This record gives sequence, structure tokens and C-alpha cells, in this order.
Amino acid sequence: MTTRGIKTATALAAFAVPLALVAPASASHGGSGRDVRTSGACSGSAHWKLKAKADDGRIEVEGEVDSNKSGQVWQWRIKHNGSVSAKGKGTTAGRSGSFSVERRMANLAGTDKFVFRAVHGSQVCRGTISF
Amino acid sequence: MTALRRPWASPLVQFVVASLLLFGITWWATGIFSQRAARSEAVADARITTEVLAHSVAEPAMSEGLVDGDPGAIDRFDRRALGRLMVGDVRRIKIWRGDGTVVYSDETELIGQRFALDAEQLAVLRSGATSGGLSDLRRRENQFEDEENGLLEVYTRIESPEGEPLLFEAYYSVATVKQRSAEILTPFRRVTSLALLALLLVGVPLLGVLTLRLTRASRARERLMQRAVDSSEAERRRIARDLHDGVVQELAGTAFAVSALARETSVPPAAREELDGAGRSLRHSLRQLRSLLVEIHPPDLNAAGLGAALEDLTSSAASAGITTSVSVSGVEGTSDHVVTLVWRVAQEAIRNALRHADASTLDVEVRGDERQVHLVVRDDGVGFDPEQPRRDGSYGLRGLKSLVEDGGGRMEVTSAPDAGTTVRMAVERR
Repeated sequence: MTTRGIKTATALAAFAVPLALVAPASASHGGSGRDVRTSGACSGSAHWKLKAKADDGRIEVEGEVDSNKSGQVWQWRIKHNGSVSAKGKGTTAGRSGSFSVERRMANLAGTDKFVFRAVHGSQVCRGTISF
Repeated sequence: MTALRRPWASPLVQFVVASLLLFGITWWATGIFSQRAARSEAVADARITTEVLAHSVAEPAMSEGLVDGDPGAIDRFDRRALGRLMVGDVRRIKIWRGDGTVVYSDETELIGQRFALDAEQLAVLRSGATSGGLSDLRRRENQFEDEENGLLEVYTRIESPEGEPLLFEAYYSVATVKQRSAEILTPFRRVTSLALLALLLVGVPLLGVLTLRLTRASRARERLMQRAVDSSEAERRRIARDLHDGVVQELAGTAFAVSALARETSVPPAAREELDGAGRSLRHSLRQLRSLLVEIHPPDLNAAGLGAALEDLTSSAASAGITTSVSVSGVEGTSDHVVTLVWRVAQEAIRNALRHADASTLDVEVRGDERQVHLVVRDDGVGFDPEQPRRDGSYGLRGLKSLVEDGGGRMEVTSAPDAGTTVRMAVERR
């Protein structure tokens, strides 16, 4: 591949990945409306899951990445209404090669929107959920 | 009936009633004071707790952006601080901007809402002091509060990481105040109750013995007094009878004989005149002696004869030019003993009026009701100052007063210079 070809491919990949992440593969709501789940594929072979549920006046948000490879270190962050609420590193473990993070968020007035983003090398996982 | 025989007049009953009254007052007063102390202590505790929460928990846990309503900053503060803020009696936390915007509350629906701060809150925001009081739960900012007993709110000033002064407000349950009150009150009341009970246990038997002794002594004194009066009565009666049967009869006979002789025509006129004068003098002495006899012991000293006996008493006043009046009503059926007492007091009062009052009128009134006989002897004489010691000591009335009071009655003498004197007595009619 020529230098020009590499640049074009990189540009397409950069454009294509967010597009792939914007539309989640599936989403489900709890019966009482207090439990919202969504999941989707990352830019590589990994998958992500995102769950939000009411918890004693707060919203508990749980993000999970399943890469099938143990020992991978992922940088993650959760945004709440566009502002970074929590961030950190997670290492995949177990036979499924997954990690998960849970954080309690304030239940603010109106609809709360959460974005979970995890990055490992070139792999990017991004999920969105509204509560 | 004597004073000691009335239940409420018993020192023992008075002591128990006074103790119970004191106990009730103490019970009530300790309740009031302990509530005040508890409230004061609870407010002081709440102030200290608020300052600790504000400066040791909330302030360090704030990150930039919280004051501007940044959701991430709110989440971080909530995760770091909430568990450490909602401790003990804390029921609500609010952090306010100066414009009244709630930048954080454990009740997240309040975050971002704006309410007007009152003058006290603004003063705290300016001065940095700590202040508080009972919450007004009708205010819109307290729409989520449903504490039955009310809330105590305390606020102090903190600073955001950007340097903006914020109002930190903590709400406490008032139920704690009541609990503190009970904690203070219960041991105090226990000690008070035990002390009073011990006092009653020791005091009642002691006072009972003393009362018994006092009652016995009083009865003995009463008996002695009555015996003295009875002896005096008997002696008066004997003297009156002896005088009546002896001297009076002889004087009457002599007066009759002298008068008869004065009418004899065989007696020279000069001698008849002398005899006539001697007869008049004897009859005058006889009248004086009979008055004295009446005074020593009136012949019909009972309820029916009381009016006449009092008339006899005032006759000497009438002779001295004093206008007198005697009024007796409602004394039918009164015992002779009481009638004698009424007569004695009236006699002493009239005697004093004649000796000292220089009065122009003297009124004697005896009135009986269902229970008592009332005597009033009133003169319009020179009177006296009751505060000054009497020269003659007025022993007669004093002795009678003692006798009246021992009989369950009461007697009082009211007087003032140039305002006459009134002697009042009331005694049980039987």
C-alpha cells in the first residue's frame, strides 16, 4: 500500500469506527423503566455492554468490555450529560477476557445521558444510554 | 371543733400537700428547663457537626465545575462526600450559591433549582459565621421534607475550588432534641423523686409525732383555759349570789326601814330630811350594787337573755352620755357556753371603750348564721395605732382572743388614731 493509500484507509477507518459505535446492536429496558441496558460491537473484535438502573435516588451505571483476551489494559471513561464523571483503567480477566466498571451517578433533573468509552490500542468501544 | 381537728389545718396534711405541690412544680420546671437545655445543647452540637461536615468533608470533596452545575463534578462530589455527610441525625444537605441556586443536595432533584435566600442565610454567606434554627417546612425549598417533628437547620460558609463563597446547609431531626431532653430530664427527675420520697418517708412520721404532741398540748391548754374560765364563772356566780342574798337584801331592808322612818310624823322634820337623804343614798348604792352584780354575772346568760344582758352592759355607757345601740339576731339555739363567750368579749370591748375611747357612740351587734355567731363592738372614739405597744397592755382582750381561737373561732381588733375601734369575733355556735 502506498503512503497515499495508507492515509486514505486511515481516514476511512477513523470515520467508520464512530459510525459503527453510534448505533448499538441491541437495547432493552427493564419492566419498570428503572433498568436500561444496551450493548454493541467495538471497532475490533471486542463487544461492550452498558447498563443503567435506579439505585436509592441515584443511577448506577455499569459498563463492560468483553474482548475474549485476558490481560488487556483498557482506558475507560464515563460521561454524564457530556461531562466526564469517572475514568480509569480496566484489565480484562477470566476466560471471557472481560472487565467491567460500576459507578453511581446523580439523578439530575430531566433525562440523564451516559456515554461509556473504552480504548485499547486501536480498539475503541463506545456506548450510549439515556435514563 | 378545734383548728387541729380540721384535716387541712393539720401540719401533717399541710406538709404532704406542700411536698406534693413542690414536687409538681419541680416536675414541671425541670421539664421546661431540660427542654431548653436540650435544645440549646442540640443546636450547639448541630453547629459543631455542621462546621466539621462543611470544612472537613464537603469543601475538600468539591471539584471545579460543581458551582456551574457540571454533571461530572456533581457525580464525583456525590460519590466522595454523600456517605460521609449523611451521618447521625443529618437528614438533608444543601449547598447554595449566593444567588440561591442549589449546586448540590443529596436530594438531586433540587440541584440546579433556585430559591430566594433569606436575610440570615445571606448574612452567614457574608460573615462566614455559623447560624441556625428550626426549619420552616412550608418553604418551597423544603418540599421534600416530611419529618413529623420538624427539622433543625444549620448553615455555614464554605468556598468552592474556584474561590466562590457557598452556603453549606445541614438539616437535623428535631426528634433528637426530644431524645436529648429525655436524657437530661430522666435522671434529674429520678433523683428529685427519690429525694422527695425520702423526705416524705422521714418527715411524715416525724411530723406525725410532733403534731400528736402539739395536739395533746393544745388540748391540755384548752382544758386548762376552760377550767380557769369555769372557775372564774363559778367564783363570780358565788360572789354574786352571796352579795345578792346577803348585802343586797340587808341594804334593801335598811333602805326600806330608813325610808319608812323618814315618813314618820313623830320624827322631827330636820331628822326626817336627813333620813330621807340617807334612804336615797342607800337606794342609789343598792342600784349600783345591782349593776355590779349584773356585770359580775348576769342572771339569764343564755341565747334568749343575751340581748338584755348586753343592754345591761351598755347601760353604764348610756349613763355616761354615750349613744348606744344593741342588736341581737339569729342566735336562737346557741349554746350557753358560746353565749357566755360572746358576752365576755362584748363586756371587755365595752369596758375598754368606756375607759379609753372617749367615744360618743357605741354599737354592739350580734348576728348568728347557720354555722357561726358574729359579734361586732364598734365605737367612734379616739382609736389607737395598732403598731404601737399599748400602755395598759389590753390583757383582757388578749386573753379572750386566745380563748376564742382555741375554740376554733377568730377575733380581731381594728383601729387607727381618731378613727374609732372595732372588735370583731366569730365563733362556732355550738
